[in-house]
Amino acid sequence: MIELEHVTRAYGEGPAQVRALDDISLAIREGEFVVVLGPSGSGKTTLLNIIGALDTPTSGTVRVAGRDITTASRGELFAIRRRTVSFIFQGFNLFPGLTARENVQFAIDACGRKGGPSADEVLESVGLEGRARQFPHQLSGGEQQRVAIARALATGNPVLLADEPTGELDFHTGVRILELLQKQSGPGRAVVVVTHNRQIARAADRVIELSSGHVAGDGPPAGGKANVADLYW
Amino acid sequence: MPTSTGRWRPAGLWLRWSWRDLKSRWIQVAAIALVIALGTGSYAGLSSVTRWRRASTDDGYARLHMHDLRVELAQGSTVPQGSLLDVAAALGEGVVERAEERLVLPTQVDASTAGRAILVPGSIYGVSAAAGGPAVDGLFVHLGRELTGDDAGKPVALLERHFGKYYGLSAAGTLRVSGGQEVEYVGQAVTPEYFLVITERGGFAAEANFAVLFMPIESAQRLTGREGQVNDLVLELAPGADRAALQPRLAALLAERLPGVGATVTTREEDPAFQIINADIDGDQQVYDIFAVLIFAGAVVAAFNLIARIVESQRREIGIAMVLGVPPRRIAIRPLLVAAEIALLGVVFGIGAGILIGNAMAGVLKDFSPLPAWYTDFQWRVFLSVGIIGFLFPFLATTWPVWRAVRVPPVQAIQAGYRAARGGGLAPLFRWVRLPGNTFAQVPVRNVVRSPRRSLLTSLGIAAAIAALVAFVGLIDSFIDTIDRGERVILSKNAERLEVDLDRPYAVDSEVVRAIAGQPLVAAVEPQLRLGSVVIKDGEEVNLQVQVLALDSPVWAPRMTSGAIQREREGIYLSELAARNLGVRPGDTVTLRHPRLDVANATFTLVETEMEVLGLHEHPFRFVAYVDSNQAGLFNLAGATNLLEVVPAEGVTRDDLKRALFPLPGVVSTQGVGEVAEVIQDLLNEFVVILRVIEGALLVLALLIAFNSASINMDERAREHATMFAFGVPVRTVLRMAVVENFLLGIAATAGGVFAGWLLLRAIIAIRIPSTVPDIDVIPVISPVTLALSVILGVLAVAMAPLLTVRKLRTMDVPGTLKVME
Repeated sequence: MIELEHVTRAYGEGPAQVRALDDISLAIREGEFVVVLGPSGSGKTTLLNIIGALDTPTSGTVRVAGRDITTASRGELFAIRRRTVSFIFQGFNLFPGLTARENVQFAIDACGRKGGPSADEVLESVGLEGRARQFPHQLSGGEQQRVAIARALATGNPVLLADEPTGELDFHTGVRILELLQKQSGPGRAVVVVTHNRQIARAADRVIELSSGHVAGDGPPAGGKANVADLYW
Repeated sequence: MPTSTGRWRPAGLWLRWSWRDLKSRWIQVAAIALVIALGTGSYAGLSSVTRWRRASTDDGYARLHMHDLRVELAQGSTVPQGSLLDVAAALGEGVVERAEERLVLPTQVDASTAGRAILVPGSIYGVSAAAGGPAVDGLFVHLGRELTGDDAGKPVALLERHFGKYYGLSAAGTLRVSGGQEVEYVGQAVTPEYFLVITERGGFAAEANFAVLFMPIESAQRLTGREGQVNDLVLELAPGADRAALQPRLAALLAERLPGVGATVTTREEDPAFQIINADIDGDQQVYDIFAVLIFAGAVVAAFNLIARIVESQRREIGIAMVLGVPPRRIAIRPLLVAAEIALLGVVFGIGAGILIGNAMAGVLKDFSPLPAWYTDFQWRVFLSVGIIGFLFPFLATTWPVWRAVRVPPVQAIQAGYRAARGGGLAPLFRWVRLPGNTFAQVPVRNVVRSPRRSLLTSLGIAAAIAALVAFVGLIDSFIDTIDRGERVILSKNAERLEVDLDRPYAVDSEVVRAIAGQPLVAAVEPQLRLGSVVIKDGEEVNLQVQVLALDSPVWAPRMTSGAIQREREGIYLSELAARNLGVRPGDTVTLRHPRLDVANATFTLVETEMEVLGLHEHPFRFVAYVDSNQAGLFNLAGATNLLEVVPAEGVTRDDLKRALFPLPGVVSTQGVGEVAEVIQDLLNEFVVILRVIEGALLVLALLIAFNSASINMDERAREHATMFAFGVPVRTVLRMAVVENFLLGIAATAGGVFAGWLLLRAIIAIRIPSTVPDIDVIPVISPVTLALSVILGVLAVAMAPLLTVRKLRTMDVPGTLKVME
């Protein structure tokens, strides 16, 4: 579903050049729940941005859902974001002027999806039935992140990208959000979560560990996959 | 004790830091500075013009010895030369500095050039030329030479400069006056009574339609067949003499020494041109004040908005400074320095704008009003005071958000993410309001209502600019509408007819009238009378031009808005404005001071008659009044006429008829009935370019405020936009939402602005018109075209403003914005 071949992303030129990603090659398959792990500056967010067509590599090839996004035009990149990937952000980034339902509906409108579950049904699927008419500032942090997940799910896009989705949340809420994300992987969909939290990585099918722009490790979590309920941080 | 380095190092840091803040938002800063510049510059520039006008006209009055008192004999009356001087002498020793007799008579002037027929009514001023021109109400020669003693008795004159300039006449030449007599003009000059050309029929700035000839009094007497006669006296009083006290004394002396001769004594302040010029200068300043305040309000709101946003974006930095123990007053230095720098920049731009605006206006005024000298020195006091206000107000407006920001608890200030998220403003109230369409259609409405204070401030700024625009253009509309109303009344029937003034009253069956009526180019003639009079009620006086005519005339008759025409009943028909000013209605009684022919002495005397107000007519000029010809006996002029309304025959042009009537005996002037309106419209057209420039400047102002607001909004919503981009929403869709949001703001601002502009227009007309042009009944009007233009431009300009931020959106670092905003 996601293929990267010899991907490099460099910033600056000459001696001041910094390589956020340095010759990375990897593949993420349908149904996988992948955690990209690494400390600050390891290149994990850059990786997420490139997969999400928000950024383009300096060299190498990236294919998402069969489409080569390295050669895509600006307009095609917008189209890929509408129909292939969906984002969940650390700070939720909900639209404060829209209700929970409208935030979800916004994503449906943006991707132009006809049919499929309604905004209310998607909200129900993340446990927010009865909160649909609330504005973001009337919701708790966990509820806001659920709305953000519902918004991402509502597009029906095959790739779900989450950048530090529990970073703003307390432990219990974070665990619930992680459970929710874990459930989203399955046939026709891959979930990629970026984090610096090793506990979260324990819940993944696969952990890709980055260090200074290189893949330092790629495989099941050390000690095997753990239940979300057994996590702590 | 801190060392000087210790004191200065932090100061340098604050300055550098605030300068970086300024640079990072330079487009918004420049926009606000320009708004401040427009406010300060237009006010300083226009206020300079006021001072220049005042200094230059005062100098003109002093230099040319404008009269303190003037004596005018009743229409058609003259007295032997020297009689009026004798009366003046009776005022006593040392009271009068200078006094001169004049002979002032109406005439018709034919100044036609090879390619253009110029036939206009005018006046001949017979003045003293012995010492190079009159000593009172002197002449300043712009072109050609002065009058000399050698010119006495010869048909030599100076032409009034406004007229000469309007038609581009050469410095010297030949023209003809009533009766076809040739006059050689040897130059073009101005005199205080004609610093603004005003005709007795209410035309102001009437140089296109009124020519004055100044000639030696002996020449005027010979030319008009009034040898040894005068009818006018001008006096310059000795320093310290009391004009107001001497006016009734002189009037009493005239009545005593020249019984049976109707004479009026007026002071300098009653001179129409003097009155209008002075009132106009003061009135203009009032209007400038209002516009400056409005523009300034927009600038202040814009500055407040920007600084509030800057402070908001620095919220966490402020919190960090608090955590580090920096006192709030020190934290406030940085945003306040930004505010000071913006205000200072605005004032600096404003000085440049003020100099440009002032000089441009002065150029037009110099051209419009050829005074002896124009003083246009740099008005540093005006600029200094405007500069201080221009700096202080926007600066002070920014202290409020800064003060609020530094009072926030540090914990709150350093909060990040969703915990720092703002509430939804009024959005919850609007959750049930759904526009047709998807969520993209809902976003703009919600954005407007979720930050009501910001929306309100933005709308207020734009509304201020729109209000200034509507009030300004509405003023022009109201004048045009007034002229149109007058024109509609006068031209309601036989629109091509001419008014032919006769040099004195003639019997309606006299040779003079028959000669005119018998012209082959004439289809019909309606004999009338026109007589200067004064209507009085409870001490309130209004000057009138009473037209005596058959009120059922087939040629033309006035229409009444209240009361009714009663031909057999003695009474007068007044304008609505005159009735309002006098506080009378149809059925009330007024006193009319009017001339009455003294057959024995062949002169007019002024008498007072109690009359009923029979009706109010629809003409907007206050001085227009009608009396039915059946009541002509009131003036002892039954069966007489001094004014003919002449209808040209089929296919005959106005100019053809004028040329045909011009040489006929008894004809003083001929004028199309609609020409006064045409002249005023010509004048308005001359100013149209300036008006459009000001209109354009106000639109730019609205656009600047809108752009500024849009730009601030774009900055503030950068993360929302980045999120939209992350979901693949195209730039054009994001822009469309911003355009719709601004469109909504534009509608609100334009509606508020138009309403405020309308109120302002009413206030300006109520305050300004009665003192500036008391004879014109100006009703506040905003023409549909102006209204549509203001609405379309106001809404469109504001709605389109976000398009200017397209580059910012297209080049947005989406990942960076999504991350950094945390």
